[in-house]
Amino acid sequence: MIDIRELRRDFGGIHALAGVDLRIEPGERRAVIGPNGAGKTTLFNVLTGELRPNGGSIRLDGAALTGLTTWQRARLGLVRMYQRNELFDPLSALENVLLSIGSLGGAYRPFRSPLPAERIEAEEVLARVGLADRRSVTARTLSHGERRQLELALALARQPVVLLLDEPTAGMSPAETERITALIAGLERRLTVLIVEHDMDVVFRLADRITVMHEGRAIAEGTPNEIRADRRVHDVYLGKAVEA
Amino acid sequence: MVIRAAMVLAVWLALVTFPQWSSAWESSRFAAGIIRQVLIFAIFASSLNLLVGYTGLPSLGHAAFFGGGAYAAAIAAQRLGTDQLFVSLGAGVIGAALLALLIGFLAVRALGIFFLMLTLALAQMVFAIAFQATDLTGGSNGFSGVHRPVLFGLDLGAASDLYVLVCAIALSVGLLLWRVTTSTYGRALVGVRENERRMRAIGYDTRTLKLSAFVLAGALAGVAGALSSYEFRFVSPNDVALGTSVTGFVMVLIGGGGTLIGPIVGAAVVLLIERVLPSQLPAQTVLGIVFIAFVVFARQGIVGAARRLARA
Amino acid sequence: MTPQDALQQALNGLSFGALLFILAAGLSLIFGMMDVVNLAHGAFYMLGAYVALSVTRATGSFWAALVIAPLALAVLGLLVEPLLLRRLRGRHLDQVLITIGLSLVIADFIRLRDDWGWGATVRSLPFPAGLDRSISIAGSDYPTYRLFVIAFSAGLALLLYVLHRRSRIGALVRAGVGDAEMLSALGVDTDRLFTVTFAIGAGLAGLAGVVAAPVFGLQPGMDVDALIYSLIVVVVGGLGSLSGSIAGSAVVGPADTFGKVLFPQFALALIFAIMALVLLFRPTGLLGRVRIGR
Repeated sequence: MIDIRELRRDFGGIHALAGVDLRIEPGERRAVIGPNGAGKTTLFNVLTGELRPNGGSIRLDGAALTGLTTWQRARLGLVRMYQRNELFDPLSALENVLLSIGSLGGAYRPFRSPLPAERIEAEEVLARVGLADRRSVTARTLSHGERRQLELALALARQPVVLLLDEPTAGMSPAETERITALIAGLERRLTVLIVEHDMDVVFRLADRITVMHEGRAIAEGTPNEIRADRRVHDVYLGKAVEA
Repeated sequence: MVIRAAMVLAVWLALVTFPQWSSAWESSRFAAGIIRQVLIFAIFASSLNLLVGYTGLPSLGHAAFFGGGAYAAAIAAQRLGTDQLFVSLGAGVIGAALLALLIGFLAVRALGIFFLMLTLALAQMVFAIAFQATDLTGGSNGFSGVHRPVLFGLDLGAASDLYVLVCAIALSVGLLLWRVTTSTYGRALVGVRENERRMRAIGYDTRTLKLSAFVLAGALAGVAGALSSYEFRFVSPNDVALGTSVTGFVMVLIGGGGTLIGPIVGAAVVLLIERVLPSQLPAQTVLGIVFIAFVVFARQGIVGAARRLARA
Repeated sequence: MTPQDALQQALNGLSFGALLFILAAGLSLIFGMMDVVNLAHGAFYMLGAYVALSVTRATGSFWAALVIAPLALAVLGLLVEPLLLRRLRGRHLDQVLITIGLSLVIADFIRLRDDWGWGATVRSLPFPAGLDRSISIAGSDYPTYRLFVIAFSAGLALLLYVLHRRSRIGALVRAGVGDAEMLSALGVDTDRLFTVTFAIGAGLAGLAGVVAAPVFGLQPGMDVDALIYSLIVVVVGGLGSLSGSIAGSAVVGPADTFGKVLFPQFALALIFAIMALVLLFRPTGLLGRVRIGR
């Protein structure tokens, strides 16, 4: 589904991505872990097109993504949930989701009001993430956990094919973490999910396979059990030098 | 919703018939003239509001389309030898829209504050062209002798006829803007204003969205410009000058950006300060101070402040 | 065009560019430090010229005006910044809007002050004694004042460069342009730094006004012209750096001058084309560090 080869991205002298190879099957739940600075967020930014790579290629279901803008990739089904919430603060939760759904139909209908079908769909998405009774609340006034839920709703509303989740449980209480993890676990299997996470419990619960990144490279990949037993991964997290 | 529509209609009907029911008042004609100008500038300010208030694009060059539309209307009527309304008004709209496409194409590439700087600079170039192309525009003397339009057989030259025309067009523009801002397109514009990055991430082509808003706003400013050419029977480089752009911006801010009535209120307030204020008080100074006060204390404008009070 | 004419125009272009540098440097400085595009910059320029007019009338000395007018504008800056801009810290667009209001007030103030010898009629400032003649260069006469402008501006650029690179205030400015928040976290009084920066920017605008006045005269609307030119210069040259102001004025000055002489109808189009090209292909401006376009 996603085929990343030799992906490279530099910032001045820093090799944020130093040749990343990653292959994800359709429907797979892949977690990307690694210490801070490993390049995980850069990987996401390059995937969505917000950053241009300095080398390498990305293919989505066979189609090359090079040169496509962020919005073009979103239309192909590559949708992202942000680490720091990127919501439409003064709008209500429902209006936020409606905006996301609206992009499916194309924005150029100057006289088209949101169709009843879209409203129903928006309410469904809100219900799925557990915000059904908060639909009229302004995004700004929602609690942090609820904002994360809305953040996920915005991504889901777009009917993604590949979902990029950037630290979905960041800043959440245990109860909120549990809720969102259950949500993600319950997503339909035809969705391919790529998760960056620091919370290992969440990772081991959700992931089919795990990729470990370190200093811009993928140094290990395997099932959760394989990774748990992998010596190199232990070293990376304990700060010892590792051969890639 | 129906109640609000009925209220708007009632107000409009009262406005349209104002010259009739106020005819006993000695200042009736003067007031009608002021109302015409308020409506014309309300259209201008509303078009700018679409850019500034709804899409979040702070344009300081909007007069280019106002004056550009005025010049286009006047020049077209003269060169084509006809005073038909749809010819001059059409030329005004199309001329302004094309100019907006040209300027917008470059301007929407600029981020944030640089968009403001670019629109300012590019509009100044339009000003300079208006000033220098004496054969076409009359140069610094302006384009005088603009005829009031003719609607098929009907001559709209009399002040009262023009009054009705302006009211009718103002209502049409208002309805159009209401339809646009409440549509999914309008919501998308608000989305661009609030979080352009996220809009791109959920699949919106924000650059084209911004450009389309820019052109639409420009076209509507052109409508106001054409009406202005009929009202004053005159078009001057002042109509494309920075001062006019700033005045429009001041109207939007004082009235309340992002609302439909805001620009109308703003236009009324600013025109009252400019035209009705006694000549001893320096209008621009007062305007400048009022503007600063609003930016500091009442950023959401009169309408915004009123709504906040109503909610409290 | 004869070689003499070409030399004349080259010198004109150079002196205009020199003037543009003084004008743009202040705008670029304020933006680089405070992220505020000071749209009252043209009004400060205008006020500087008019203050110089009064000082020259009162003292008979252009040189006195050259010192006093920028100081007066700097004082104005010292007052305006804490009063109006500081309370809107972080709201960059709103700060820009305030400068618009300020420019309206200043321009109107000047327009109404007939009693001060200002007002709406066109005024002129005589060339200072000693610089009011022409000297012969390569066979044609050239006004010495314009040569003075070039020399003065070059000297100013050098002074600013030295201050920028070698002095404590320069270091603070450089650091502030890079990251004002960090500077504040390190214990520097950024409020005072911003106020001083704004004052310097205003002073530079006033200085440009004095220097330009004998050449361009004083009339309503000069603030708008100055503002537009300074904006074009910083878009072309790049915002936030001294070298950007130099690069921008070095391009726009001669381009504008030659354009007006060679094809007066299209001089504007030339400037427009330059700006468009820079924006499309080098969005930070020639030597700037701030991304202007995408």
